[in-house]
Formats: sequence, structure tokens, C-alpha cells
Amino acid sequence: MEKAFLHAIQDNQKIIFKVCKIYRNSKEDQEDLFQEIVYQLWKSYPQFRAASKLSTWIYRIALNTAMAVYRKAAIPINYYPEIPGQHANPENIDTEKEAKLFYALRQLNDADKAIIALYLDDFSYQEIAAITGITGNHAGVRLNRIKNKLKQIIK
Amino acid sequence: MNELNELKDDWQKMTGSYKSGTELLKMTKINNHPTFKKLRLKLLIEVISISALLLVYYDAFDGDRKPLYANLLLVISMVLYIITGILGYRSMQNPVEGPDLKTSLRNNLSRVIGLSKYAMLFSLLYTVCLLIFFTSTIHFTKEKAFLLLGLIIILSQLLLWSYRIWRNRIKNLERQATDLESPENI
Repeated sequence: MEKAFLHAIQDNQKIIFKVCKIYRNSKEDQEDLFQEIVYQLWKSYPQFRAASKLSTWIYRIALNTAMAVYRKAAIPINYYPEIPGQHANPENIDTEKEAKLFYALRQLNDADKAIIALYLDDFSYQEIAAITGITGNHAGVRLNRIKNKLKQIIK
Repeated sequence: MNELNELKDDWQKMTGSYKSGTELLKMTKINNHPTFKKLRLKLLIEVISISALLLVYYDAFDGDRKPLYANLLLVISMVLYIITGILGYRSMQNPVEGPDLKTSLRNNLSRVIGLSKYAMLFSLLYTVCLLIFFTSTIHFTKEKAFLLLGLIIILSQLLLWSYRIWRNRIKNLERQATDLESPENI
């Protein structure tokens, strides 16, 4: 079981990595959350049924952990009035594109972050609904709101 | 629309410093868990210090000269305090409690609210019983009364600090659940 689990996580760790980056600001907090998510995945692995997609299960546990786990009060961040340019790189984010991406995504509330993360990874409304527990209709309407918010941010 | 497609593209192409199998294996062990390491240490210090107090209080603080009710209250409150701490630690290990985010957040919120009530109640009980034990046979003078007042203020501050931690934790979970469910977000 351990081998199969490690194989599954290694192939899909990009999901965990992205969830950590969207929900935590500092490298240290991201590393802690990564570890927390892997631990929670390992604990729930015996209940994982191959009938559902592996990525769906990983996203469900990862988002759940990121939102539910108590975190230290964050130091207030003064967001840049403009989208970061080439020289604005406060968190060692690898590329300017990534900086822009996370600048925009981190301004959403935690619930919206979950919905948009699933949308950006091509999950259908029904899949988003199943993971989050809201209806498919709600997910669709809500995504339009989030997209509009993002457009405003990245304008 | 183009900007969003670009975001989607960047999201899907994102790369990072990925973990090896050995690193991932380490992460499956609770002993290597950063958050639980700190919580475990805090719990361990509390359990050891309260157990030590439980073992020596009778001789060290003249338990035989105090009334039986003061002895009983102190022992019961100490045991309840330790049990709540252990249950709290175990409970914090399971933040995922449902088939979807909404259910899980709600379940987690109810659990944390329940836990906070017990934790606060037994902390208060422990504090009060400790004060009852040490003051049950004291002949109060003005100086001793002031000393007691100072002690009560310090202990109240500690309880208030603990209450604030629980309140922030609950507020955070409530906000998460409301953000997900709120009709305003539709």
C-alpha cells in the first residue's frame, strides 16, 4: 500500500504544491502545509476508492486541509497597488508570470480559491460541486463572479 | 477572456521543487509533522508538570492539612485538564471530516466549538480548584489578600489568552464555512 501511495502522490504532487502556494504566503508555511496534506492523504488513503479520479481525491483532501488547519495569524501584507513587475518578487516566486498568477489568486477568499483552483485544472462544474459540496449551478454562477473579480485584478 | 486563458495555461504549466519518494515517505509519519511536533511538546510539558504536581502536592503542599474537598477538587480538575488536552491533540489530527469541503468544514467547526467549551471549562475549573486548595487553610492578612488578587489577575489573563486563541480558531472556520455557503457569493 505504501508503495502505491507514494507512486500516486509523486505523480500528482503538482496539485499539492499549487494548493500550498495559493493558500500560504511564506515558503515555510507552504512547506508545513505540504507536509500536513501528505499526512492527511496517507491517513485517508485506505478509504480512497479507485472509482473516483485520483486527482479529485487529492484535491478534496488538499483543499480541505488547507482551509481547515489552523494557521498562525498572518503578518498583514500590503498588496502592491499594481500587478508585480519583473523586479517585484517578494517571495522568491520563480517567474514573473507566476508572481502575477498568485498575486491575483491570493486576493480571493479561501472558498473562491478552492473553486478557481479546480476550474483552472479543468474540472467540470459537476466535479467542482462534488468536491466543494455546493450545487453545480451554484458553482457555475460563482465561477463567473470569480472570473470577473480576477479580470478586474489583472487588468 | 484571453487573460483568464493565460492564467489557466500558467496554472497548468506551473513547475516547482518537487519531493522525492523518501521525502514523501517521511511526511507520512506523525513524528515528523511540524505542527504536531509543537503541539505534542506543549502537551507533553503540561502532562509531565501536572503529573509531577499530582505526585508531590500532598507532601510538598501539606495536602494532609487541607480539607478533603480541596484535595479531591484539585485531583479531579488536574485529571480532567490532562484528559481534555489529550483529546484536543487527537482531535486536531483529523481536520478532514466529510465527503466534501462544505460538510467537512461544518463538522470541523462543530467539533472545535465543542472542544473549546470543554477546554475553557476545565481550564477554569483547574484554576479555581488550585486557588481553593492553596487558600483553604490560609489565615488571610491584607498582604496575603493582595497576593491572592495578583495571582487571580495573572490566571485570568492566561484564561483570557486561551479564550482568544479558541475564538480566533472558531472565527476562522466560521468564515471559511460561510464563504463557501453564503448566498451573497452566488
